Amino acid sequence: MTTNTYIAGKGWLYRFDPRAKLLLMLLMCVWFFLPVTLLHLALVVALVVLVGAHSTGWHHAWRTVYSISPMLLFMILFMPFNVREGVPLVSIGSFTVITKEGLEQALRLMSRFIGITYVCTLLFATTVMHEVMLTLRWYHLPYKASLVVTLAFTYIPFIADSFSQISESHRLREAEDEQKKKVGQRLKDLVPTLTSALVVALRSIPNLAMSLEMRGFGRQERRSSYHSLDAYHHVCTNFLLACIIPLAFWLASMLF
Amino acid sequence: MQGNRNALKVAMVSVLTAVVVVFTMVVRIPTARGYLNLCDVAICFIAFTFGPWSAFIAAGLGTALADLISGYAQWAPISFVVHGVEGLLVALIVQKKGDATVSVGRKVLAAFICIATVSLGYFALSALFISTVSVAAAEIPGNIAQSAVGFALGLVVSAAVKRAYPPVSSLTW
Repeated sequence: MTTNTYIAGKGWLYRFDPRAKLLLMLLMCVWFFLPVTLLHLALVVALVVLVGAHSTGWHHAWRTVYSISPMLLFMILFMPFNVREGVPLVSIGSFTVITKEGLEQALRLMSRFIGITYVCTLLFATTVMHEVMLTLRWYHLPYKASLVVTLAFTYIPFIADSFSQISESHRLREAEDEQKKKVGQRLKDLVPTLTSALVVALRSIPNLAMSLEMRGFGRQERRSSYHSLDAYHHVCTNFLLACIIPLAFWLASMLF
Repeated sequence: MQGNRNALKVAMVSVLTAVVVVFTMVVRIPTARGYLNLCDVAICFIAFTFGPWSAFIAAGLGTALADLISGYAQWAPISFVVHGVEGLLVALIVQKKGDATVSVGRKVLAAFICIATVSLGYFALSALFISTVSVAAAEIPGNIAQSAVGFALGLVVSAAVKRAYPPVSSLTW
């Protein structure tokens, strides 16, 4: 199981301060909901994808769009039929199948959806996970919460690996072909696998608690940290840019 | 002593969050809006076994992390709210004092609340923030099926785990 979303690279997005990047991501998500024309929305989405792909590569951009393609297909198939009013584009006799407004709304939703998905993915593709955690702590996420997330990421591969091994060993004991079973039987057969995997996971809780205590968790002294966001320079400039970029897009959409 | 209890709580929530992530990502059936998975099994198991707060945090955080890892980042806040509330409500309904057993009526109510929270929660928040009413409505049957199966399996798995690993009963928070 892959839990790392970071893609190594050298683009300007990698040098952008993660704190400002998070703010930029949130502001861009808000921007996609502003009342701008479809052309402006599509242009900004295209620009975001272009800039992002320049940093993380076209493969990542394609993979992101591909992962949401079923939803996009659903939108383009059904949205135009739901909006009945407006200029008819396709009609069968007196029945209007697709209107200009319906098609426009479908395209607007698709653009907005691609935009939001891509900016969210871009943040995690260009920022390593411990910097995301430091960023959230900078925004006053409590220490315990960030510790829980970090520990969860540490345990995900262990539990996933245990689950796969248990699942394989249960499958080897079964004579019947998995494909030939009915859904109900397959779900019933899943119970021993899930139970075993859960017991393995739960057994690690006391050990983890003990190791946390041994490492001084819960003591009053401030804990030392090896990681920091000091390597990022021009923090103020980055924050300013994070505010200016969405504002510039909005002003451009108003003027042109 | 308080430090010991806090360390145990952090360890418990971390491992349970990881469990929810794994269950969400192991079995995935692609749909128009995302994918169907086993996360409800893990959430209902945690709600039955560990109590409301563990269920709320592990369910919300686990599904949100799974969305982030899988490239469905835009659904992370929605998943956090919907599944967090699902875990909290189910745990509050089936919460018991001592060794008392949970009545069938409460289990049925918990199942109903679980299904209603997931299907209506995703429908409302998805229609409001991400897609449209028609697109969000199309996912209601899938969500109902997923949460119903998840609840039933969670109930069975919870009883099986309590038999296989009795110390789990002392971990309730």
